[in-house]
Amino acid sequence: MTASPDRPGPPPTGPDQQFQAHVADGRLWLQTCQDCGSAIFMPRILCPHCHSLSLQWAPASGLGTVYTRSVLHRRPKPGDDRPTEHAIILVDLDEGPRIMSRLPDTPAADIRIGMRVRARIAGEDGARVVLFDPEESKT
Amino acid sequence: MSNTLKGAAAIVGVGTAGLGEAPGFNAMDIQALAVRAALEDAGLSLADVDGLFCANMSHTFPAISTIEYLGIAPRWIDGTNTGGSSFVAHAMSAAMALQAGLCDVALICYGATMRTGAGRMVPAAEQPTYEIPHQPRYPMTAYAMAAARHMAQFGTTREHLAEVALAARAWAQLNPDAFERGDLTMEDVLSSRMVLEPLTLRDCCLLTDGAGAVVMTRPDRARDLAQKPAYFLGGGVASYNRAISEMPDLTTTAAKDSGARAYAMAGLGPADMNVLQLYDAFTINVILFLEDLGFCPKGEGGAFVSGGHIAPGGGLPVNTNGGGLSFTHPGMYGIFTLIEATRQLRGEAGARQIPDAETVLCHGNGITLSHQATAILGSENTL
Ligand SMILES: [Zn+2]
Repeated sequence: MTASPDRPGPPPTGPDQQFQAHVADGRLWLQTCQDCGSAIFMPRILCPHCHSLSLQWAPASGLGTVYTRSVLHRRPKPGDDRPTEHAIILVDLDEGPRIMSRLPDTPAADIRIGMRVRARIAGEDGARVVLFDPEESKT
Repeated sequence: MSNTLKGAAAIVGVGTAGLGEAPGFNAMDIQALAVRAALEDAGLSLADVDGLFCANMSHTFPAISTIEYLGIAPRWIDGTNTGGSSFVAHAMSAAMALQAGLCDVALICYGATMRTGAGRMVPAAEQPTYEIPHQPRYPMTAYAMAAARHMAQFGTTREHLAEVALAARAWAQLNPDAFERGDLTMEDVLSSRMVLEPLTLRDCCLLTDGAGAVVMTRPDRARDLAQKPAYFLGGGVASYNRAISEMPDLTTTAAKDSGARAYAMAGLGPADMNVLQLYDAFTINVILFLEDLGFCPKGEGGAFVSGGHIAPGGGLPVNTNGGGLSFTHPGMYGIFTLIEATRQLRGEAGARQIPDAETVLCHGNGITLSHQATAILGSENTL
């Protein structure tokens, strides 16, 4: 990978930097092991399944299934205008790996374990993250 | 090579200090008081200690700071930090070091003052990179996710979780040292404030001050000391992941492996255990560990704890001191499983004593279901 117009400076080198560079460019890519075929997340220098060093980046489908969820119930405080419910999910990506994320536009009560979701990249320059939307709503 | 740690060491002294609230004192202060109490219990002194096993969250180098504070110069030092499970794992490491002759008197200790503020709940220096942007609240988020998955997969209910909290409180009411001893009903638990769905305030452990210490020696010396020895019969540890998102299956913990290793070393199985001490940071933990340690099939932990089965008068005594839910929880709880197990084996647990307790299984959990440690202790009859 090389530096892009959005991302001046030297090209990313380590696995973390490369993952984040893809996200910064608006893409969810995963490492794939060239020896055992496993898709890998979190980014690593070796495959946690067969310990090979032969890993290559490949685009992920972005599709996944909600494995579990938790909802933080905040006590409302004066001056704190954050939503009182903060839901976090674990998503099993269709490629195999699991990832922590959120369904920011879905009310916590509507987040079901087993629901199909699709990834999108959101956030400001320098702080982009992988988020999800319900896949059902797009059909 | 065979498992030669069975009977290689025994707990000969236990002590606690600063349980609940210790205003004005720091972690090292109350830890030193617990250490003094444990050594006095054993009929030994600090000058006898030549092996130290220690972990905490307040110091970068807990074992070294402890050595300095206590004024000891041990010849064996183990500061392995696997979270709250550390001390159960230390019992196995201490048995190994004693057997190898690396030390003659092993001290395992912990102290924290998280409630009164001299040390607050300190976040770990390193947190999972890919979880932090989503603002999880550690450690509760991880346990809430395990509970939600267990409920979805096996039909476990909030009532099942509440049974664990009720049992802990009923035991605590028999323990004069317990922090929370007031009456607690199913309705109280279910209607308590939702903190991290599906866990309510009453599904979560206490946050107290407190310190604990355990002294171990080889059996030949143990027999000449002040107390009835609690023998180390078997131990095991297991870990697959640091971050909750890296855990292969949130409904099956590494306790499955740590337990199997401990049973194999002890030559015993779940049916041989008289009393259980399971690290109950959250109610779901007890359900997971009862399943993973072989007391009921996977998915049936909720039904197993129902009807007061693990409460006083039930079929299987679990967390007879009241546990982290009602007895004490100073950030890391593992050492208190060893202390309560020893008291049960000696027959000195007062109103909560299990008659003729010969075997106790201690189980420690570390970080966010990240590390599991099991130790089986027994009376002389079980050797
Ligand atoms: Zn591989």
